[in-house]
Amino acid sequence: MAQTEIQIENNPQSGLFQIPVAKGFVTIVGSTIALIVLCLIFAPSAVSSGALAGSLPFAAVLAIVGLGQMLVVQQGGFDLSVPGGVSLAVVIATHMPSGDDSALLGAVAFAVACAIAAGVVNGLLVGVYRLNAIIATIGMNALLFGGVFAISGGVPRTTTELLAEIAGGRTFGFSHAVYFALIILVLVSFAMKKTVFGRRFEAIGANPLAAQAVGLRVRLYQMTAYVLAQVLYCTAGILIAGITREPTAFQGNSLLLPSVAVVVLAGVSLLGGRGFPISLVIAAFFLNQLSQFALAIGVPFSAQTIVQALALVFGIGIYSINWTHVATKLFQRASKEE
Amino acid sequence: MTLTYLKGSAAVALAGMALTMTTVPASAQDTPSWCGPNEATLALLDGFGGNSWRIVTAEAGRQEAEACSSITEYIYADGQGDTQKAISDINSMAARGIDGMVVFGDAGPAVLPALTNAYRSGMVVVPYRVIVGGEPERNYTRYVAASFIANGVLWAEWIVEQFPDGANILYLSGPAGNSQGTEQLEGMMQVLDDRYTFLNPDPFAVTNWDPALTQQVLSAAIAQHEDIDVIVSDFGPSLVGALPVFENFDRSIPALATSDGNSLGCFWQANHENNPDFDLMTVETGTDNVRLAVQWAIAEVTGGTLPDTDVFESGVFENSVTGSPNSVQCEPDLPGAIYLSSAVPAQVQADAVGN
Repeated sequence: MAQTEIQIENNPQSGLFQIPVAKGFVTIVGSTIALIVLCLIFAPSAVSSGALAGSLPFAAVLAIVGLGQMLVVQQGGFDLSVPGGVSLAVVIATHMPSGDDSALLGAVAFAVACAIAAGVVNGLLVGVYRLNAIIATIGMNALLFGGVFAISGGVPRTTTELLAEIAGGRTFGFSHAVYFALIILVLVSFAMKKTVFGRRFEAIGANPLAAQAVGLRVRLYQMTAYVLAQVLYCTAGILIAGITREPTAFQGNSLLLPSVAVVVLAGVSLLGGRGFPISLVIAAFFLNQLSQFALAIGVPFSAQTIVQALALVFGIGIYSINWTHVATKLFQRASKEE
Repeated sequence: MTLTYLKGSAAVALAGMALTMTTVPASAQDTPSWCGPNEATLALLDGFGGNSWRIVTAEAGRQEAEACSSITEYIYADGQGDTQKAISDINSMAARGIDGMVVFGDAGPAVLPALTNAYRSGMVVVPYRVIVGGEPERNYTRYVAASFIANGVLWAEWIVEQFPDGANILYLSGPAGNSQGTEQLEGMMQVLDDRYTFLNPDPFAVTNWDPALTQQVLSAAIAQHEDIDVIVSDFGPSLVGALPVFENFDRSIPALATSDGNSLGCFWQANHENNPDFDLMTVETGTDNVRLAVQWAIAEVTGGTLPDTDVFESGVFENSVTGSPNSVQCEPDLPGAIYLSSAVPAQVQADAVGN
């Protein structure tokens, strides 16, 4: 009951919390526009149609993985099994068909089944047995990589022509991966914002104890977050398998940190609560475009890494520090001195 | 020698024989000179065994050891990319009383203390391909190097042949600061003068040998530079996913100097007609480097004749312009992740990598 009271006491502040939400969206959109302007001035090649055609599929993959991570973060968790989930989907989608288009559907179904199984285990460990999310998912990651080695032996295999066309082909000038990301964005946004399931999902993330007190099935929803996240990682993995033609067996490794970065940049609280899918997809584009910008202006690799890290610090700084409070304090101090 | 009539591994075996006598597959002879009369046990310790290149390399090492009847036991251990496990493997082999070990020291100087201990306990220790620091006959028996500088020289000589008046070069390598990448650049710089311009940041564009990152790096480079004459990469197969990016810009894939791989050869055969500038030259990818290291170890432990050299040099494998020593090779029915330059027969490689 104490938790419920706290929740009620906090209710008047929820209106205030909506300001950072608006700020979050405005910030990421503003940053993205500023980045595009910078590209147009200093590195026009980074926003040429050819460059975008080459890089957007990867932004789309990052957006899908980020949406999965967001669902888990909304429930106050962290999913470190992203690399394993993505890599397993990659090797299943390439090794099982082994170039045979007719076997692709079965491989995709198997990949999704594995993802659901991994998600259920993650969900049980974290949601039901209350294991620390980081510990549980890092263990699952190791398990998934065991699967990667069992299927592939670590050896890459060329993807099927059909998958290359489905994931890497283009319609109206855009890679199909971009359409996949947009469809998933619409689905996640609709489910989160316009369905009872979604509203409950966010309410549970914001305050699981209060949600439990009003009779919501908290554990089930928390488990669902891990299952849906794995399905999204799996989708991303299958897309990577098509986009890169001959992906390595460890293709998911480079996605873990960016998946958390886009969640942070989108303004999602790491303590759980509301999700911002549209902001997240824009953040994925932003992060991807930042890499392209750094590559196009020809800075050394070390500087590229620093630029990306600064973007993450910028994101955390924007949302984690109460700048209004800081400014007020500074103003008050200045007034006293006068 | 009419190599062009020979396919795949047979051609490579003969080409290898012509180029580096020390890396002749031992199976071509009855008892190799490096195989002495004293019976011994041998281990091949891989720092990381989880990719096709390493699997083929391990198979090449196994074949070489099998050719010497004095080797009574041959053990392979995979460090799985874990430095602690790699060190543990080395210590374990020393504790088991194995007579000789060949070590792919991925972790570099981190494995040197373990190698030194093993050497001082009386084992024959031969690290190869990755510099582990230390000195021969103090920390280990002999270091068998790969001449990455020679690769750079071969690429540069081909570039000069194709573009005698100068060219714009995009050079891609693996992780930032990797010694293979910088040595290859050193080799290229020995041949290329100031008419040849590198478009990438110094010393090379970082790709981590990751096909996805390669694709992104290549997209940015193509958008930025309208005049890429030739791409140089030390891992050809990682480009297979990235090269179609040129289609997005309605440009021909340019000339490519790299290392061989079945998927790359097949990609060239499928795409060179639509890409008029797409000439291809590859050097042998070096899966037979391990043979020279195994020969050294076996010669030392069995009392055989020591090989003439401790440096493995890759030769040119494919040249789409001259067809010499080989035209571009492709085995469409075998996996993309095999290396037709290897002395390990293509079908054996296919079986080893799980197809």
